[in-house]
Amino acid sequence: MLKQLIADIKASMSIYDSEKDESYGLLAEFPDPGALYHAAHGVREGGYRRYDTYSPFPIHGMDKAMGMGNSKVGFLTLGGGVFGFALAYWMQWWTGQVDYPINISGKPFFSIEPSIPIMFELTVFFAALATVVGMLALNGLPRPYNPLFYSNSFKRVTDDAFFILISSSDRKFDAEKTGSFLTELGATSIEEIHDHGSADA
Amino acid sequence: MSNLIKQRNPIAWLLDPVEPTADQADASYRFDWSPTAWLLPIGLGTAALVVSAVGWATEAQQFFFSYLVGWIFCVSLALGGLFFVLIQHLTQARWSVVVRRIPEALIWSFPVLAILGIPLLFGLHDLYHWTHADLFDPASPSYDAVIAAKESYLNIPFFLGRAAFYFLLWSTISYKLYTLSIRQDVDGDPQIPALQRKTSAWGLVLVSITTAFSGFDFLMSLDPHWFSTIFGVYFFAGSFMSIMAFTALVAMILQKAGMLQGTVTTEHYQDLGKFLFGFVVFWAYIAFSQYMLIWYANMPEETLFYRHRLENGWETYSAVLLIAHFLIPFIVLISRSAKRFIPVLGFMCVWMLVMHWFDFFWLAMPVLHEHPSFHLLDLSTAVGLFGIVSGTVLYRLSRHSLVPEKDPNLGKSLAFTNS
Repeated sequence: MLKQLIADIKASMSIYDSEKDESYGLLAEFPDPGALYHAAHGVREGGYRRYDTYSPFPIHGMDKAMGMGNSKVGFLTLGGGVFGFALAYWMQWWTGQVDYPINISGKPFFSIEPSIPIMFELTVFFAALATVVGMLALNGLPRPYNPLFYSNSFKRVTDDAFFILISSSDRKFDAEKTGSFLTELGATSIEEIHDHGSADA
Repeated sequence: MSNLIKQRNPIAWLLDPVEPTADQADASYRFDWSPTAWLLPIGLGTAALVVSAVGWATEAQQFFFSYLVGWIFCVSLALGGLFFVLIQHLTQARWSVVVRRIPEALIWSFPVLAILGIPLLFGLHDLYHWTHADLFDPASPSYDAVIAAKESYLNIPFFLGRAAFYFLLWSTISYKLYTLSIRQDVDGDPQIPALQRKTSAWGLVLVSITTAFSGFDFLMSLDPHWFSTIFGVYFFAGSFMSIMAFTALVAMILQKAGMLQGTVTTEHYQDLGKFLFGFVVFWAYIAFSQYMLIWYANMPEETLFYRHRLENGWETYSAVLLIAHFLIPFIVLISRSAKRFIPVLGFMCVWMLVMHWFDFFWLAMPVLHEHPSFHLLDLSTAVGLFGIVSGTVLYRLSRHSLVPEKDPNLGKSLAFTNS
């Protein structure tokens, strides 16, 4: 149950578990961004859930084609903001009222007026921090090791190649059927990826 | 001006400086309510003003304060519209083309607003304490050294000259932007976007400065001892917030009546909602900046302003302003789905327009009343002036295309999405 949950969360970051036989998935190459876009939509329609697309540049509308919905990062932003707000309020009160009370021109040791800028700043700061860190985490980054690095053709992904990976941990995955399915979607070449479990292959 | 017939009748010119062009508009952008629909808000407004005139006869001072609040509400709305149009042209904004005709129709309100401002001239002594000559006379028992030191700025001829200058400038810029945009509907001259941008470049600078100073003159000088340099920005923040609410609301009403179908979409409403949310926050930011510095410095001549608004029952009104003008809209409008759900956005637009009026009420009324009081005149003057202004907006909308249909960016605006 818990293992399943962790695997699901990792899959949402496109980190897939390899099978016992080191099988990681099928990597299909597509000739152009348009083909990749339509193929991604087709893979989704075909019932696959654990798959990801790779391209040298962002493709507009790809998130919709993959059926990804809105990013969850907004909730992390909200959490960070609320935390920063509360922290600043507590800090202003504790330093001013408790730890080091000083009388400055007869003003109260703690009052809300001069604390609001601090609360505002820390709200923005922690919200921004939570957004950036949360964005990286939700994307499973940084990711120094990826079984896809074993593939020679995958090296062109930062240049002129467009790929879809369907993970072998997907419920619908079947090496033969998935392979012919990808060919039907217009893949120019299909490669089986194996996870040898170390960075130096 | 080619292909555009100027209105010759001077009274009709005040309402719309050019003859109608709607018959040349694309059928889907035509106004298809009754062509006399605009008479309804004008009629209601006039009736409310006639009722208010009774107040003028019986309670002159209350009348002038109420009238000023209603009038400045309409002026700030039109100024917000002017800022909006100027900024859209300067940035060559694409998303906003489909809704731009609404603020464009609003900005030609300045000549009518100048005329509607005339009754205030009879109440200068009731409104503005500094207009009393004895304050400036060292021999007089009511001599006021603080106000006397401001005589070179706060004197009636200069005040009236400034007011005339503001309205002349705002009307001139509005005339240019409005007629250029209508002319584009007719002849699609490719030079027009560049001309609009050129006018906007110098226009924005002058409108910014005059907006700040009109805030100082019409509102801040109600309390002539008090001063705050950020007040001009405060006035602007509310104006720009209110135009988003107004534009979205007019678009919703037109769509409800079956116009602009498929033209103004959820995506445009979300963007107007984002601007509305942004300027709710900006307003609060500026209002708090003003408050915090005065709180910290604790100078008697500055704290006076808040003192009046934090005692004798006014503290409740101040709390309402904070909660209803900032906290509630902040919480409601922060979510994406609220801005995309028309009933919620529409409700918040009405809410914010009411709060924008309340903001001026809160600024002006503590000068008149030591204890808070709400007078029927506050309502009747606001309804009256807003009715007349919105009636003239409807009049202009009914005579021309509802969308600047030959704007080169219209296609991009129609296809705009937020994703």
